[in-house]
Amino acid sequence: MLLELETVTRLYGTVIGVNDVTLSLPPGAHGLLGPNGAGKTTLLNLITGQLSPTIGSVRVLGQRPRSSHALLQRIGYLPGSEGMYADVSAIEWITYLTRLHGHQAAEARRLALRAIERVQLSEHMDRKISTFSRGMRQRARLAQAIAHEPEFLILDEPFSGLDPIARHSMTVLLQQWISAGRSLLVSSHVLYEIESLTRSFLLLSGGRLLASGSVDDVHHLLADMPAEVRLRVDQPRLLAEELIRDELVDSVRIEVDGELHVTTQVPSRLHRFISRAVCEDRFLVTEVRSADDSLQDVFNSLMKFHRGGV
Amino acid sequence: MNTLVRIPAVFLFEWRRASTAPRLAWMVALMVFPPLLLALMRFTAGSAPPPEVAAILVYVLSPGVACMMSVFLWATPALSAELEGRSWVYLAVRPHGPLAVLLGKYLVAVSWSIPVGLVSSASAVVVLTTGRPLYIFAVESALVVLSCVSYSALFLLVGVIAPKRAMVAGIVYAIIFEVGLAMVPAAMNLLTVQYRLRCLLVDWMDFDVGLGSESPVLAMYFGNHSAAWHISMLLLMTCGYLAAAAILLRYREFTAASETDV
Repeated sequence: MLLELETVTRLYGTVIGVNDVTLSLPPGAHGLLGPNGAGKTTLLNLITGQLSPTIGSVRVLGQRPRSSHALLQRIGYLPGSEGMYADVSAIEWITYLTRLHGHQAAEARRLALRAIERVQLSEHMDRKISTFSRGMRQRARLAQAIAHEPEFLILDEPFSGLDPIARHSMTVLLQQWISAGRSLLVSSHVLYEIESLTRSFLLLSGGRLLASGSVDDVHHLLADMPAEVRLRVDQPRLLAEELIRDELVDSVRIEVDGELHVTTQVPSRLHRFISRAVCEDRFLVTEVRSADDSLQDVFNSLMKFHRGGV
Repeated sequence: MNTLVRIPAVFLFEWRRASTAPRLAWMVALMVFPPLLLALMRFTAGSAPPPEVAAILVYVLSPGVACMMSVFLWATPALSAELEGRSWVYLAVRPHGPLAVLLGKYLVAVSWSIPVGLVSSASAVVVLTTGRPLYIFAVESALVVLSCVSYSALFLLVGVIAPKRAMVAGIVYAIIFEVGLAMVPAAMNLLTVQYRLRCLLVDWMDFDVGLGSESPVLAMYFGNHSAAWHISMLLLMTCGYLAAAAILLRYREFTAASETDV
């Protein structure tokens, strides 16, 4: 297993950072989603061994991160805060951090150069970090995380503060990392950033794990939660009448192009009704689509549900 | 072993980072102030002090103040600077990273401070134009080395114990223990570096401080053990400080403030 957390709770005095989180992740790419203050960084600190859980146990690649130096050799970490030395060049900094993995000077420099090339920073590697743009600094930070060729890359808000071009470059880099068959855990509070990398995610809010798995898994979880459904049907008004009569929907809207939008508290019953209607040839339905297709919608639904908004 | 191979990396990196004009200016200032002060005293007095007095003056200003100040500036903020700069996290996720950083920075503090002590001692002996200058310089040099080695470890430990107020804690500790208690002839002063260095000075300079009368108070102030004993105690204390700092670093959790926000 890539990651195994068992009833992990982390307290800061009386404040709960992470609350009773149990999860098990196989190798691969995973997103860690949640609003600011959800406990994502605390969870990553637990995974990288900087913090130990108050209750529960954490295992990364089968080892306890707090007590295993060998594990640290196998993971690369890009923290959320910058914390770079402004007075050194990128190549010096990355070589230094690679040497701390136990490599000799020449080997560390070779690995650092390769990492810098991968993040497309070779042209600027001799410049002091203080002269770097935000995007360049982020690429240098990524280079230090991948230079020692870890199996498992952990990134805390890697897209934070990047302009669209830098964001795209970072996405491409991470997509390459994933396609090379390596594992990745990336945290963000912006969903489309994660969506472009993986469909497997963990949703954290208030220190609790609200959901985990693929988007489909979460859809299944949401099956009987309020949902918006869009239908293309030959007789939208007639269908809307029947849905209202059978108390299957909360609201109905027919768009100018004839598409029927309904919101429902009982999506399972609604879908059964439509299936039956189609089988009985009462309506010609050409498309049934959940409006909650995107990860953002799933996220919004879960957050609303968690906050008691629905 | 794993840590040992990483220490040179930290040492070289930190040395390169430290070689800046402001740091060098501090180094020069600490080198210059003991001989400058003694030159003024020498000029005011009008004649050279006897060798014993000269040795005490050089001891107080060079291994005592200049070396202590230098290692204080280097060793105390070793951890707090990384935490405040949010760079600690990069080091903490490296295998044996924290320990390598601790020991690497310790060596940097020692290696920057020994030249400060040696140059200031040599210059001070020269400006005092006293008798037995080479012997005094040899004694002061040994005390400089021991002072830097011990105080670096001590201030490193203080910085690890109180990383959020490292400099304040270092100053408070130095004033209370190394200046105050070290001068009190009680059991507590045996635990100070200053006491050991003072005993070594008395021993090596063959000062007649009345130890022959077997006064227990004088014995607690100047010690009645051999130089080898005091050196062994200093080295033991140094190892103890470093071990305590390493253990704290291993078991305490250090994260930057923003990273502990939930």
